[in-house]
Amino acid sequence: MINFELNGQPVQVAADSDTPLLWVIRDHLKLKGSKFGCGMGLCGACSMLVDGESTRTCILPIAAVQGRSITTIEGIGNKNLLSTLQAAWIDASVPQCGYCQSGQLISATALLSKNSNPSDSDIDAGMSGNICRCGTYPNIKKAIKQAAKNMRQDNNSTQAVAYFDPVAAREEVQ
Amino acid sequence: MATPTPQNIIDKATGISTTRRGFIKNLSMAGAGLVVGLPLTACASNPLPNNNLSALQPNAVLQITSDNQINFYLPRSEMGQGTYTGLTTIVAEELDVDPARIHVLHAGKHEDYINPEFQFQATGGSNSLRIHFLPLRHLAANARQVIRQAAAQQLNLSLADIQTDNGNIIANGKIMPYGDFADHANSLPFPEDAPLTDKEQFKYIGKNTHTLDGLQKSTGTAQFGIDIDFEGLHRAALKRCPVIGGTVKSFDDSEAKTMPGVKLIVEIYNGVAVIAEHYYQAKNALPKLKIQWNLPDTLSAFSSDSTATDNGKGLFKTALDSDQATNAFEQGDGIEALQNADTIVSAEYWAPYLAHSTMEPMNCTARLTGDTLELWVGTQTPQLAAYAAAYYADVPKDNVIVHSTFLGGGFGRRSESDFVAEAAAIAKASGLPIQLCWSREDDMQNDRYRPASMAKFTIGINKQGVIDSWIVKRAGPQLMPYVIDNLVDGLMPSILPNPMVDWLSKTGYGLYGSLLVDHSSVEGLYEDYDVPHKSSDHVSVDPGLPLGAWRSVGHSFSGFFKESMIDEVAAQLNQDAVAFRLKHLNNNPKLANVLRVAADKAGWHKPLPAGHYHGVAVHESFSSFVSQIAEVSVNNNQLIIHRVTCVIDCGLAVNPGIVEAQMESGIIYGLSAALSGEITLKNGQVQQSNFHDYPALRMHETPAIDVVIIDSDEAPTGVGEPGLPPIAAAVANGIFAATGKRLRSLPLKLEA
Repeated sequence: MINFELNGQPVQVAADSDTPLLWVIRDHLKLKGSKFGCGMGLCGACSMLVDGESTRTCILPIAAVQGRSITTIEGIGNKNLLSTLQAAWIDASVPQCGYCQSGQLISATALLSKNSNPSDSDIDAGMSGNICRCGTYPNIKKAIKQAAKNMRQDNNSTQAVAYFDPVAAREEVQ
Repeated sequence: MATPTPQNIIDKATGISTTRRGFIKNLSMAGAGLVVGLPLTACASNPLPNNNLSALQPNAVLQITSDNQINFYLPRSEMGQGTYTGLTTIVAEELDVDPARIHVLHAGKHEDYINPEFQFQATGGSNSLRIHFLPLRHLAANARQVIRQAAAQQLNLSLADIQTDNGNIIANGKIMPYGDFADHANSLPFPEDAPLTDKEQFKYIGKNTHTLDGLQKSTGTAQFGIDIDFEGLHRAALKRCPVIGGTVKSFDDSEAKTMPGVKLIVEIYNGVAVIAEHYYQAKNALPKLKIQWNLPDTLSAFSSDSTATDNGKGLFKTALDSDQATNAFEQGDGIEALQNADTIVSAEYWAPYLAHSTMEPMNCTARLTGDTLELWVGTQTPQLAAYAAAYYADVPKDNVIVHSTFLGGGFGRRSESDFVAEAAAIAKASGLPIQLCWSREDDMQNDRYRPASMAKFTIGINKQGVIDSWIVKRAGPQLMPYVIDNLVDGLMPSILPNPMVDWLSKTGYGLYGSLLVDHSSVEGLYEDYDVPHKSSDHVSVDPGLPLGAWRSVGHSFSGFFKESMIDEVAAQLNQDAVAFRLKHLNNNPKLANVLRVAADKAGWHKPLPAGHYHGVAVHESFSSFVSQIAEVSVNNNQLIIHRVTCVIDCGLAVNPGIVEAQMESGIIYGLSAALSGEITLKNGQVQQSNFHDYPALRMHETPAIDVVIIDSDEAPTGVGEPGLPPIAAAVANGIFAATGKRLRSLPLKLEA
């Protein structure tokens, strides 16, 4: 049994210890927002926050997250309570096909949690691990800057959502 | 010169009138509100099936329920190119309702959703807005009209007293939702001639509203094929022959069977599948299979790095130099005109095979219950997917239900149904509901690739420094034999026995292998410039790697070839690259215009920062006109692309934000290919496997991109693909300006 915190809630999973976290989240816990892209930690579609760091979970064995805090796209915000970044994402019409966007949002969340006023090169550095084949990079950059601005102007804006109900999330996904 | 219509892949340019109203039908459904069907083809005589619609299996594109839900069944797939927002906006405008209030559903497989240009249900050719712009507007305008008529009767008012606003009837100072009148509207004859909204009155078309699927896609709730899950669903991984097309000779699964979670191992037509409870279990067991393969002869003999004259690039070069060409186009005196040239400039170009590498690897979920097969899949061709699946699951075609999802990237890859066929075969062989998921390695090594191409231009210039003859010959494999194989399997009547279908496929292959020129083999090589004498030849040569449509198809290589060539001629004559192009664009005013605007916007004639150089390219494709200017610098063989200026004329921009995003998208996808995209083979085996050896452009490598959209009153034309063809040449021409080196091969490599 592996115990960790998922989107603010304690969870316990029975899976082989070398199972990548991504597949535990997708197949066992049925949260489908995090995506499989490459299986080698190269594209970032599977990114989740592990203790606040954007992490490639397609190569992260479940044994390595014992006792740690994991946040997926479902834990960043939801349709009724968007994070500042998500709202900026929607305003800037960032997603095209949309498949990589959960991972992009995770990396952008990690970036803004450490740097509330990132420069272009800060954004490049923070986002270089996430590939988008549709080429949404220009709009991602716009959205990150807009979100940073909004967060600086309004300290009440939502950065993350602590509440998480796996059952409701599962129903929503299905 | 005349604008060629985009060639569709079964070569039946329809020329049907999109204003034709006779095919708009009223599908009565008691108690379910107003349901209108729009067969998108011109087959008016073909009665619509399923007149008794139910909410479970709708066959119309628009539905207004009595509880005021407005449903739009999206007839074209959403793969990032923006149909979800674009087509919904068109409907919303004429229905007079905020697009965000429309409930958009992915259409399943049904003949109502046929793409009129292809004559089957397909999303591609950048034609979704172009072909649906008027029919959908008429449909929605007529639907609004019949609701107004119903309201007038129900409220005992004259039609002129019935106004609408955002999904509501406004009459007698009251606001009442459309749904209140939907049932009565359904009993009225459906109007055919409601007037369309004037451009000046547009509330939604042409406005920069944000995309309608942004919320789902920014919260992880958009459902892709890979996200499908249900009780009892098993996961499958498939081991295929390392050389595509090989078959299983024998296999030993004794070790694989013992791996954790493995439920069943089955052999199908092209490999051995492991079925497990979870995907990673199936994937982990796959390497434990020991399989002996029958290798395909032709492809196994091909190696990209061979220096032989009948292998690698030598195979293409030998074909190019042979006299076995088939003429694809001729104008004026053709090649004969070269005799009169004052100067002749000649050059050869190369473009490699390319993989699509969509972010979502290929996957398909299949459940066989009795002789009914359900598929859950993101596909550009639901109908062909169903037919391929029917063949491999051995069920009647009509018994296949397709549940469409969002596509995690398409770029042409998901117009193929190979992965659907595999899923169907595994479901059939195992008797289990399965989700087949490809690994990234599977995806990169079993793609349907952009054909490698070699071309030679011979350009004759007269004493006045004007091009007099444009001779081009392309050598390479043709897309059509591979496409036809799918089409024949899919579209032949079910009564034909499979061996006959196979025979027809092979016959089609043979014809295209030798006699016929698939238009996509030569498109874009010769059309754009005013030249009195032209000739375009083709020589088919095929190493046997399966091919598919790759974003912008033939234009993906011809844009680079043609725009590099014209640049070479201008340089040879010491002419300005923009002015020289303009001199040959008198009969192509839209292309000339985007070029002028781009030159102005980029500051073509103004000084650049030290060490920076401009490269320019223009190209017409999918009825749109694009010019791009790249600002580059080269230091110690390191290329930096600082900025790309892109100007497009795509008719009326239904959503300017999407047009801009598609230009950025085409440029970035095109830059990945131009800078590093190359699929190579060793003894027929694809050597690249993942993003480390087939990289995609990342944010820090992406230049600043400025997009200008030409203001236009004309109907919309393509945007998904036309942004791609010019970019490689714009960069290569910039490199030439910076270094004097003319790079004639893709990907662009500065080190010789």
